[in-house]
Amino acid sequence: MPGLNASLFLGLSGLQAQQSALNVVGHNIANVNTPGYSRQRADLTANQALIQGQVYFGTGVTLNAVQGLRDRFLDLQIYRETSRQEGASERYTGIEAVSTSLGDTTSSGIAAQIQAFFQGFQELSARPEDSALRTNLIGKANTMISGMQARYRMLNDQRDNANQAVTSLVTEVNTLTKQIADLNREITGELVPGSNNDARDQRKSLTDKLSTLVGISVFEGSHGEYQITLDSGLAVLVSGQTSFDLKATPDATLDNNYYRVDSLMGTTTVNVTADIRDGQLGGKLDLRDRILVDFQQQLDTLAAGLASQVNLQHRAGFDLNGVAGQDFFLSGVANGANGIPALMTAANAYKGMVNALTVNAAVAGNPKLIAAGGIAAAGDNANAKRLANLQLDGGVNAAGVVLGASYSSVVGTLINDVGTTAQTWEAQTTAQENLVSALQAQRDRLSGVDLDEEAANMMILQRGYQASARFLSVINQLTDQLVNEFGK
Amino acid sequence: MSVRTLATTQQRQTLLALQRTKERMAANQTRISTGNRITRPSDDPTAAALILDFGNSIHANEQYLKQADSALSFLKPTEDVVTAAIDQTIRLQELAQRGLSPTAGATGRAAMVAEVDSIRTSLLSLANTQSQGKYMFGGTATLGPQPFSGPAAGPITYNGDDNTISLDVTSTSSVNINIPGQLVFFGSIGGQGSNTDLFQAVTDLRDGLAADNTATIQAAYDHLKLALSNLNQHQADLGGRQAGLLNLKDMVSGFNVTLQDLQNTQQDTDYPQAIADYNTDQIIQQATLNTMARSNQTNLFDYLG
Repeated sequence: MPGLNASLFLGLSGLQAQQSALNVVGHNIANVNTPGYSRQRADLTANQALIQGQVYFGTGVTLNAVQGLRDRFLDLQIYRETSRQEGASERYTGIEAVSTSLGDTTSSGIAAQIQAFFQGFQELSARPEDSALRTNLIGKANTMISGMQARYRMLNDQRDNANQAVTSLVTEVNTLTKQIADLNREITGELVPGSNNDARDQRKSLTDKLSTLVGISVFEGSHGEYQITLDSGLAVLVSGQTSFDLKATPDATLDNNYYRVDSLMGTTTVNVTADIRDGQLGGKLDLRDRILVDFQQQLDTLAAGLASQVNLQHRAGFDLNGVAGQDFFLSGVANGANGIPALMTAANAYKGMVNALTVNAAVAGNPKLIAAGGIAAAGDNANAKRLANLQLDGGVNAAGVVLGASYSSVVGTLINDVGTTAQTWEAQTTAQENLVSALQAQRDRLSGVDLDEEAANMMILQRGYQASARFLSVINQLTDQLVNEFGK
Repeated sequence: MSVRTLATTQQRQTLLALQRTKERMAANQTRISTGNRITRPSDDPTAAALILDFGNSIHANEQYLKQADSALSFLKPTEDVVTAAIDQTIRLQELAQRGLSPTAGATGRAAMVAEVDSIRTSLLSLANTQSQGKYMFGGTATLGPQPFSGPAAGPITYNGDDNTISLDVTSTSSVNINIPGQLVFFGSIGGQGSNTDLFQAVTDLRDGLAADNTATIQAAYDHLKLALSNLNQHQADLGGRQAGLLNLKDMVSGFNVTLQDLQNTQQDTDYPQAIADYNTDQIIQQATLNTMARSNQTNLFDYLG
């Protein structure tokens, strides 16, 4: 039979255990709103029994461990899907910012301005002698050009915005990976594997944040350390206790001297600009280097086709002085035989065409030089009509740039393209949002703090503490009985 | 089965749903206030391209209507000039007939010379008429020189060219808006001095009257008849072209109404639908806010003493 002292210690272990467990409850409640926090549970175990003869006497309770409740595979899945959600939403936001103006179907849209320009030729065909109509046509050409340039500039502004975000995102990524590597060190150094719950939660919260910034794949090593690579797998960001920085450097080979992103892994430097798929950084780089560029190329090609065919037809006509027509449009340097500068070709998607496009200053300064006549006669309008009819088929003169479709359907394709791309990323964003939200709900179900549950636990532990104290007081009375009353 | 259901999870999911409801409400509000079903291309990319296409056709047709009006603005004055020339020619015929009458006598014939002269001058100015800054009968030499010129008594020469000017009035058809002067006043290209040359007939009539030569007057009378029938023919032709243009305008305007309808079905907000959707969302929003506010009110801690 255990002695009274043993019973005192048994009661004490009860008191201590309930109090420690209450402490865990308090920690849970305190962290109810902490991002990434996983609820903890006190792991109470009965002490080794005292054997006397054939009887096993209990010796109380010990708090064995404080266990964090988490599903690490679920965490890894959440990181990946969060990256994808951020990437999709970033792209969608970027496209939506330009889509309304680019896809303007009203009279202020590109399509309407191009049509107005060609209708200017049609109007001129009714009165080729009329200098007011000629001046008016130059005005319409300028409106059309500035309309296209405004759209082009808007796309450039969006690309610039994306580019400006690159440096700050890279800095943030580097700070986070460094912190995660530090936490990896703490976790691998823990005395009992799995005991450093709060470092794990902190790391989870940081990795959650990292996954919104850049597309990542996370693996957990055998010692609980995170290995983090880019989603394309091309570069390592965190390996155990070491983090590898990303670096943004202006690169002259990119448009507008945009930033190149390098991964600095020891002595090797890898250019990962095109290999970050998701997260805000991946989304921004994709917008900057692919999605918006594609729209710009469509505008450049449209401008090249238009300028080339108009110039060739304009050369075939005669101006009001009876002289053969010059080029109607110029693009910075002299036009070649195909009506546009030789350095702008299909191979480089006529890059820079929209920005360089102007009405030939000689023609703009003297609208008499507009070649409306098919012959050298003031009243002849044959060339004006041919110029106006270019809008029907986009021009089929094989010596120039042939778009293969009317200008309005080229613009229609662009609008459709913008709309479809935005729609795709919008759907993707919603789907990812739903997925991440479902995964988070699943994570909450296991790891989240439920205040009702904590309140119930608190009551139970309080009662346990009270009972243990009561037990101690009974043992105390017994001891008192034994020491002070016995043998009186 | 019981699943741990956390207030935070609940709040997060409700918040997501609430944001989506608000987003839908904002989109519907834009649809209602602008009247456009498509507020951005991603709402319906195919319809956005279609709307552009319809809009393009509508504008093209509007431009063709304007071209038809321009054509009419040239054809109408041309017809007026030809009609005036016909009136003058008829008067000349009357004078020739009087000149041929034996009762006229040499003095009577000489008295008619002045009127013939003045009609000749007026015919010449008709042939040199300008409309909207253009010589109407100079072919494509619309800015000069004057199409017809010559001495007061001698033959009149043509200085314009024989080109026609046409305007496109649909994508496939065009209409000539001028008649080269030689055809109207000489009867044919290079018809100067021929039997159908109106000015030659007038000059002959004048000379016949002045010289009291009935044979010359008779010849001039016959030539005036030919010139008159030529003018009548052109008048009918000009009238025909104008009638054709008016028909075409009716057709194109009718076609545009159809196109506009088609564009509207793609573009316009379906108001009953949009308003119904908006109201539903409003109810959802109110109910959500209400339950959100309530769900956080009760907790076991409320009952712990």
